[in-house]
Amino acid sequence: MLADRRSRATRRVSRALAAASVVTLLAVQGPARAAEPILQTEESDIVRLPPGGPHRVLVEDAVYRHSKDGRVYVVDLDTGRLLGMVQAAYNANMVADPAGKAFYVAETTWERGNRGKRHDMLAAYDPRTLEQVADIDLPGRALITPKKPDMAIGADGHYVYVYDSSPTNAVHVYDTGLKSVVRTVDVPGCALIYPWGNAGFSSICGDGSLANVRMDAKGTPALTRTPPFFVPDRDPVFEHSPEIAASGHVWFMSYSGLIYEATLGAQSSIAKPWSIQEAAGLKAASDARAPFEVTWRPGGWQLAALRARDSHLFVLMHKGTFWTHKDAGSELWELDLKTHRLVRRIPLAARSMMVGVTQDAQSRIMLTDEAGDLMVLDGADGKPVRKIGALGDALIFTAAPGE
Amino acid sequence: MPDPEDRGAVGAMRNGLDTVAERLARYLAGRSSRRSALARLGGWAAAVPAFPLLPVWRRDARAAAPAAPSPFAAKAQAKDDTKCDYWRYCAIDGNLCTTCGGGVHSCPPGTHPSPTSWIGTCFNPQDRRSYLIAYRDCCGQDACNEQNCLGSDGDLPTYRPQANNDIIWCFGTGSLLYNCSTAVIVGTAE
Repeated sequence: MLADRRSRATRRVSRALAAASVVTLLAVQGPARAAEPILQTEESDIVRLPPGGPHRVLVEDAVYRHSKDGRVYVVDLDTGRLLGMVQAAYNANMVADPAGKAFYVAETTWERGNRGKRHDMLAAYDPRTLEQVADIDLPGRALITPKKPDMAIGADGHYVYVYDSSPTNAVHVYDTGLKSVVRTVDVPGCALIYPWGNAGFSSICGDGSLANVRMDAKGTPALTRTPPFFVPDRDPVFEHSPEIAASGHVWFMSYSGLIYEATLGAQSSIAKPWSIQEAAGLKAASDARAPFEVTWRPGGWQLAALRARDSHLFVLMHKGTFWTHKDAGSELWELDLKTHRLVRRIPLAARSMMVGVTQDAQSRIMLTDEAGDLMVLDGADGKPVRKIGALGDALIFTAAPGE
Repeated sequence: MPDPEDRGAVGAMRNGLDTVAERLARYLAGRSSRRSALARLGGWAAAVPAFPLLPVWRRDARAAAPAAPSPFAAKAQAKDDTKCDYWRYCAIDGNLCTTCGGGVHSCPPGTHPSPTSWIGTCFNPQDRRSYLIAYRDCCGQDACNEQNCLGSDGDLPTYRPQANNDIIWCFGTGSLLYNCSTAVIVGTAE
């Protein structure tokens, strides 16, 4: 009996509580619904990006797992937000206009997906709408896991250069004003494009020399060659050697870590090399003649980045033997290219295949990892600023304004 | 074609074949008409040059076995061709066809081998010889993306295309979509 009474009492209390909660809900919702206006109907529209600052960068994702589907991301390093993206199919390349007026993507598709007629294309994009402002067929382009210098742009943005290797080594010259390919320049035995001035570029040749191409006002090319300055079989220079296109300065970096400062032109000159390991107080690293020596060595994909305003070079370094030139870096070394001195060694939380840097006073360093994250460091001291998690799949290179 | 990695037995067979061929030729020369001997010798002349192409094992002729010439070779193995440290992969860059439905010298069904390739030099830890390896890509389907490996022994930049593993070696196959890489022995490097 006692149990029954207790049970009835419990049920009464429960009912009372339930009723109270309904009343409370009504009390909360009623006046709120009355005060809040009904949501308005909407129109679909498209975001137009505001003008970008120095921290709005382009990042190429080669999507190695299904490389037909590459893309270029537009990223704001200050907020860590993806602002948009454009397609960049199959081993694409991209360059940005030095003044930020446009960016260009060279890509390749087949009409029926993985078969049918091949199309090599060059698209020019408005950097705020990400709409194409030009979209042309190229005579061809080299299909290579993308190296940044497979495509380049002149200092004034008038010419875009696209490297081709089949059937012969050549550079297609695209006129951004005429929106068409105006010339194909043969560079027999040479590859890659390091632009200088408004209408010139140099390519690296298989014997360790440079081919220099100057085009006159009509676009007619004249080619000169330098003597070989390195021995490719012993200690080749990296394709991703950093450059200041405006001044035609390239710091060619060798697998072992020698820096050859080159001033490009019709008569390119190359300074005596110096060792980044010696700059860091270590012994210069061995080349292919002593491949087993384990020491700090440069390695990665876009493995070096240059901050032009203070001539600081950022190089991804790892400990390894010779022939580890594609190993990801466990440290980032900051070097002063004027004094040939090490500024600092920045240990990395995760090994990176890529380093980029923005060119402004509050510069940002960009790194990646195996997960496709984009890590942002402070360019002043190498301290982490933020991680943009899983931005992509295989982030291979960056383009920052004014580089 | 016998497996070149299993060369002990093959070497013995080759020495035996040489001896047999020589004795047979002498025997035939002594017993046949001149025309018939010429015909038979012609047949042997066509066949004999094929024998030296068979893998050769001259253990006794190699007084000191050479040391592994590269860091990759020093750690390479010759048992499992689905692993990155398999000796032939010293300079491979990409997906192993052995894990994509193909084999070490075979393309997976639905793909096509490129007649072009770049050539690496790899050291076989089993017979301690260096071989020329053609890294022929299989093409026509997008990346197979099973076991991906990057060997960079002797890998030079694209201004030395014959020694570069970043070029899509799919020329002459229809679409140049890269699926996977094989590692074909094309000769000895000695």
